Order: sequence, then structure tokens, then C-alpha cells
Amino acid sequence: MLKGDYLKPKFLEIAWKDIVIEFRSKSTLSLMILFSLITSMLFSVTVSSYAQEIGAALLWLIFIFVGMLGYARAFVREVELETLDGLKLSPVHPASILAGKMVYNLVLMLLTEAVIFPIFAGVFNMNISKPLIFLSILTLGNSAFVVAMSSLAVLIVKSRSKELLLPVIAFPVVFPVITSTVFALNMAVSGKIQNILQPVKMIVSFTMIILAVAFLTSEYAFTD
Amino acid sequence: MHIVLENVVKYYSRFKALDGVTLHVEEGEKVAILGPNGAGKTTLVKIVSGQMRANSGKVEVMGLDPAKTSRELRKKIGFVSHNPMIYDELTAYENLKFYANLYEVKEREERIKEVLKKVKLYDRRHSLVKTFSRGMKQRMAIARALLHDPDILILDEPTSGLDISGRRELLEYLRKLKKTILLTTHNINEVEKLCSRAVILMNGKVVAECEISEVEEVYMKIC
Repeated sequence: MLKGDYLKPKFLEIAWKDIVIEFRSKSTLSLMILFSLITSMLFSVTVSSYAQEIGAALLWLIFIFVGMLGYARAFVREVELETLDGLKLSPVHPASILAGKMVYNLVLMLLTEAVIFPIFAGVFNMNISKPLIFLSILTLGNSAFVVAMSSLAVLIVKSRSKELLLPVIAFPVVFPVITSTVFALNMAVSGKIQNILQPVKMIVSFTMIILAVAFLTSEYAFTD
Repeated sequence: MHIVLENVVKYYSRFKALDGVTLHVEEGEKVAILGPNGAGKTTLVKIVSGQMRANSGKVEVMGLDPAKTSRELRKKIGFVSHNPMIYDELTAYENLKFYANLYEVKEREERIKEVLKKVKLYDRRHSLVKTFSRGMKQRMAIARALLHDPDILILDEPTSGLDISGRRELLEYLRKLKKTILLTTHNINEVEKLCSRAVILMNGKVVAECEISEVEEVYMKIC
């Protein structure tokens, strides 16, 4: 760990600890990337002729699948190893624990995105009119997804089916983000970005609401 | 009074795990909670440590409600259970450093060194915890719980997984600590070595309270 890390806020301590553990165990990130690659290849074989029309939606779909697979692990791993109790017992506000997990998941998401996006764009030979806007929207949508998934993961860790339950409760919640991001990504692909602020506002508002609800209810979510 | 529980009731769905438990523990007292499996011992210590909320009744630890996230109170409680609550992929030192940061431990490096020496793991401080034996992990759990120098130690079957010499060393160490201790165990020998008073739980109810000298007789009569 870094030498001056005593000065880090608590949520960054938690995120950094998770990042160190992930890079040592390589249990989640490698699977996320591998799964993304396999799905990209599968899509490229089956629907590559429609890449320009549905490429953005497919890419987003891959990130949703990968997120379902990986983001809950941040909490589920703590539950499986019974280390979540150690965090709950510590003098750290539950909102900090949640924020730490969100930061960790954001790092996973950015790394996955950095690996998958160029491969996907290359394999599908996508012609993106506004690549920077496309990448920004992709990151924004993914961030909103990470926030939602991390918040919902707190709720499912006590259930027996854990990761299986997450998609069931997550899809209805993240539906506005899914549709808004796909709209915005398609606008970036076609270059018709006049109305792009509308879906962007939707994604940002959704993220703010989920963040507020998650932080306000975190204390109840963490206590049995 | 360091720990006050009055008429505490806890349900798991319809099952009543604690049924009107009343318990008072004074500062510096070492009290054992005895009882068979399913008696409600772990539920009781989880409520005292703030991991769980009681459905009704009064719970106070050092005058504060542990279920409400009181940062100051959490700093005064150390909790050891059969589960060491440490990370396998971190070293012993990194684990303690992580917790020292969460607990805002003063003079952290010295404190980490001190507790690692106390539990005889200083020489292995840079080894990943996943390479430790069960007993070593349990010693790490003790180090983690003592790191922030808590006033109250809550021990939920802390010797499970330890060999005979490990148990003896741990109990000897705990006996010397001038702290309030709440210990749950099945093992009457441990209670006799460490505690001054015992409370016997059965089906979520306190069925007896006695001095340590009479614990074996009382326990055998009830259980």
C-alpha cells in the first residue's frame, strides 16, 4: 500500500483494499474481461452485418451482462469470507462502505471498458461519427449502472441466491438507464446529437436519485 | 455499568431467538454467556456489538445504543468470533493497517507492531494471511480486535479452531487484560479460567446467573 495512505478517506481505504485484493487474486476482473471477449466474438459471428445499426446496443448489452456478473462480487465476496462483519463493526459509516464498493466497481468497469471497447469497435468495424461523445456516454451509462448495481448488491447479500437474485431486481430498476444510454449511444454513432442532452439528463438524474436513496438507507441495509 | 440489556427480545421471522434477556455487566468485569447450540448466545453478542438490532427492550453499551452507528462506541468495542474477519489476499501487516486506518488508531505503526508481537505473528507480518493456519488466523483476529485498544472485548467462541496450547495462551492473555469481557462458549473450563461470573442462556432466556465457582454445578443441573 502507499506510504501516506492514512490520510485517505475511509471509502478510498475500502476501495483500495479491494483493488489490491483483486489484483492479487485476479478473480473478478479477468472473468469480466474474458466474458466480454467471448460475448463480443459471439455477436461478431452472428450479427456483424448489422453492426452500424445495433452495435451500440450490443456493446451496452455486453457491459450489462458483465456488470451483472462482476459488480455484486464486491459485496458477495465480503459475505462469503465473512469479512463484511468486520467492516460493519468498524467505526465507518455504512455509506462509506457503499461508496468504497462503488469506487472499486467503477475501477473494474473502466478497466473492462478500456480493454473491450477498442476490441469491439475493431471486430464490428463500427463507424462512430462522434467517438469522444460515444465513449463519454458509454462511461456515464456504465457509471450509472455501477451505482445502481452496487446499491442493489447490498440488499441481495443476505439472500440465499445472491448473484442470481440481482438481475431479477436490477433490470426493472436500471431500465431507464439502459434505454437512455442506448438512445444516446446511437445518436453518437449516427452523429445526430442535437437531442443528446435529453437522455444524458435522464442518466444523470437517475444516478443522483439512486445515490441519494442508497446512502440514506445504507445504515438500515447494513444492519440485520 | 458498561453493558445493560433489559428485557431484550429478538425474532428471526417468527422464531424468538431472545426472549426478554436482562443482563448487566460492570466495567472491568469478565462475564461468560453459556448455553447449548441455539440458545441465543451469538444473537446476544451481535446485539451488544451493534451488528444486529433487537426487536424490543433496552440495549446500552457505555451509555449508548450500539445499533445506531456511533463511531465513538465502535472504537470502544473489540469483537472476536470463530470468523477472523481478515482478508486472505492481504498480509498480516496490511490487514492490520487497513483496520488501523478505519479505526483511526494513533501511532499506528507502533501499535501494529505491538499487537503482532503480542499474538506472536510479527515474524510473519509480510506473509499473506491465506498461508496461515486456522490457529494463526484466530490469533490475527485477536490482534485485529485489540488493535484499537477497546474498552470492551466481546468474544464469541474465540478459541474454536485453536489447539490446546493456543487456547491456553489465548486465555492467559485475555485473563491479564484489564478490560470488560463478554465471552460466549460451550467450554466450562475456559469460563473458569477467564471469567468471574456466568450467565446461562437456554431457548433465548436467561435461566441462571452464578459465580464462577459454582458454574459447573449449575450448568450441569440445567443443561
